[in-house]
Amino acid sequence: MLFFIGQVLPYIAAAVFVIGTCLRVAVWLKAPVPFPLTLFPAANTNTGRMLLIGREILFFDSLRRGDKWLWLWAWLLHISLVFIIIGHIAGIYYLTKQFTLIGFSAETSSVLSGWLGTIFGMVFLAALLVLFYRRLTIPEVKRLSDPADYFILGLLLAIVVTGMYMRLASDVDLPAVRAFMAGLFTLHPVPIPKHWVFISHFALVNILLLYFPFSKLIHMVGIIINRAMITELPPVYPPRRVNPTQGSNRSISLGEGGCRL
Amino acid sequence: MDYVTVNGAQIEVDEDGFIVDPNLWSEDIVKEFAKLESVENLTEKHWKVINYLRDYYKQFGIAPMIRKLCKETGFTLKEIYELFPSGPAKGACKLAGLPKPTGCV
Amino acid sequence: MKVKPPMYIAKQSDVEALGFSFTPEVQQKAKALEKMAELRSKMRSLMVMLETCTKCGNCAKQCHSFLGTEDYYNFPAARAELFRRIYKRYFTLSGKIFGRFAGAEDFTEETLGKWLTYYYQCNECRRCARFCPFGIDTAEITIIARHILSELGIMPKFMQGVAANMAKTGNNMGIPKAAVIDSAEFMESEMREETGLDIKIPVDKPNSNVLYIPSSADFFTNVDTMIGAAKMFHVLGTNWTIPSSVLEAANFGLLFDFNVMQEHNRRLKVATAELGASLVIQGECGHGWRAAKMYTNALNGPVPFRLLHIHEFCDEHLAKLPLKKLPIRVTLHDPCNYARAGGIIEQPRRILRACVAELVEMTPNREDTFCCGGGSGILMDEMFDIRMKLGKKKAEQIKAVGNIDYLVIPCSICKAQLPAVLKYYGMDKLEMGGLMDIVGKALDIKKT
Repeated sequence: MLFFIGQVLPYIAAAVFVIGTCLRVAVWLKAPVPFPLTLFPAANTNTGRMLLIGREILFFDSLRRGDKWLWLWAWLLHISLVFIIIGHIAGIYYLTKQFTLIGFSAETSSVLSGWLGTIFGMVFLAALLVLFYRRLTIPEVKRLSDPADYFILGLLLAIVVTGMYMRLASDVDLPAVRAFMAGLFTLHPVPIPKHWVFISHFALVNILLLYFPFSKLIHMVGIIINRAMITELPPVYPPRRVNPTQGSNRSISLGEGGCRL
Repeated sequence: MDYVTVNGAQIEVDEDGFIVDPNLWSEDIVKEFAKLESVENLTEKHWKVINYLRDYYKQFGIAPMIRKLCKETGFTLKEIYELFPSGPAKGACKLAGLPKPTGCV
Repeated sequence: MKVKPPMYIAKQSDVEALGFSFTPEVQQKAKALEKMAELRSKMRSLMVMLETCTKCGNCAKQCHSFLGTEDYYNFPAARAELFRRIYKRYFTLSGKIFGRFAGAEDFTEETLGKWLTYYYQCNECRRCARFCPFGIDTAEITIIARHILSELGIMPKFMQGVAANMAKTGNNMGIPKAAVIDSAEFMESEMREETGLDIKIPVDKPNSNVLYIPSSADFFTNVDTMIGAAKMFHVLGTNWTIPSSVLEAANFGLLFDFNVMQEHNRRLKVATAELGASLVIQGECGHGWRAAKMYTNALNGPVPFRLLHIHEFCDEHLAKLPLKKLPIRVTLHDPCNYARAGGIIEQPRRILRACVAELVEMTPNREDTFCCGGGSGILMDEMFDIRMKLGKKKAEQIKAVGNIDYLVIPCSICKAQLPAVLKYYGMDKLEMGGLMDIVGKALDIKKT
């Protein structure tokens, strides 16, 4: 059982996550965008488009325009998640000494690493709870929700709770965790450390990776692809380029005998 | 499909109450439609509008521009609404046996 | 149909007369799923927009349809769910495996009735896309759902009637060429009476540089819009004409069937070639502008002509127009398809500031404007009550502006919807009309 969780499951989960997500996106990209869906006001250059899309990804502009509270907690959820992931990579690899790279002492680095982990973990936990509460108490959102919407919140809560437990309540053998992770990445897996909360945390994350390509978490890629569509440069008449099938001036054979919609 | 009884005959009308076959139009139909359109008495003024609409439709195959209707009959738009509460398009055209004007109107 | 939609449905014979095939009820499910499969492979938007929604619900309070009707299914994400649940069940692995858990649902005998009911209560205004974190555009789902319904032979009588007129005469009202000429002559005599000038409205004039495509309603009720445009062209000395074969800026195909949209758009290309024009100017029609600007190249391109909206053209030449400001206080209603789908936002404002004494803005405005409630062709008489609810937010906005002399509503559907809406909400004293109407009135061109 532990062998499966520690040395088999992670590879399956990683493969399903990467291949599944790529496949899903590939299916999307295979379909054309026959008509430009530009949402005005639009950018006039590709740089402008990237700026618009970049701002949305970094600051969730559209959400903020609507509901400030939803924006706050959704943004905090995502930003804390980003820092948690970065913190895991840096913290585990450098065994909490990552801040020595910018001049702090080893002692200070460990404390800082711990504090940042705690803070972002708490913010993430709080955001999850607020969003869970919101989903249950706003009538139209509750009616709109599927079991899957609650499942993902529950899964993330379980992950963050097990993570916070390790952060605050127990002594995790960090070098052992580092060795275990290194084993996985170098394709020479070693037995998983026998720390039950760690095993639970690890297993839950793998379930998340397995579940990702089949869920709405695909919005991570969806946001880019959708916003690329709605920021497409509007057509010009007559088409400027010599080849009218380029850019937003492409025409499709919608009606030439075989291609009715 | 609905039907309106006029002098014992069944005249087919569409869901909006407009006559389906314009060729079946008669003055008796006007009287029947007038009741349905809350037009109490059909006066000379009503008939002036109706006859103008019918003539224009016969010549051009469509209802006239509302402004032209007003100008040619001598009535303001307000007066036409007083004669035909549903207005020139939905009221007068119905009584005149024209098809219902459609599109962005 | 098990669910009774709130509009008259077109008869089978009428639908078939338009060239649609009518799918018998027992085959509807199979045909609908077949169409869904086909469209998802041909339109990336369908897949991405259905699959990216995280059910956050931010769109609810931004949609005038939901706010006005207070019907759950008019909340954009819920409206999309009517399609998404079916899509998940038959086209996604998670839907097939996890079923209801993942939000999948079977296609039932109620499905198409619900689609007809609710996809014709979406005004395709795209306001939800402005507030969705991912930019999901429920209008796109609506457009595709309506297309599928039409391909099954299911459409409102209103759409079928307009399409029949379109096919027969090249305009939504069914105005034949002789009537076009007669109306043009009438308007010419009106202008002569008013200004003393011989201002022409040329119909099918060969070797014209400019083809002007008005809304057919400009030849029935919104005469001042046509007159305003004619006066402007006269003053600028434009070599222009109106094509009788396509007297319609609108393209109802965008509102219910892609193939119909392509056909109407094709007429534009043909007429322009026949009359030798190098510039096409679209008149005051919202969705028609979106269809022309955003869909022409893809549907019938490449096209050799320049394409402008009458407001873009007027804005370009504004300095040359001899305008005397009208002493009125106006506010501008931004039609959805101009502001969010067509890039016409500042031009009307520049024009108005040159034509009137005072321009006040309503709130919100520009790209966050609320739809009039008639958008996407929801002008059926039998849906009057729903239409008034759809117009509620707009009415509130207009009331909040305070004392104004004139409301500028530069789109034909808005011109058909808002007088009824404002009368319903107690504002029928307010004068309203198009932007070119104001230009026409402000042009100082009387023969002295």
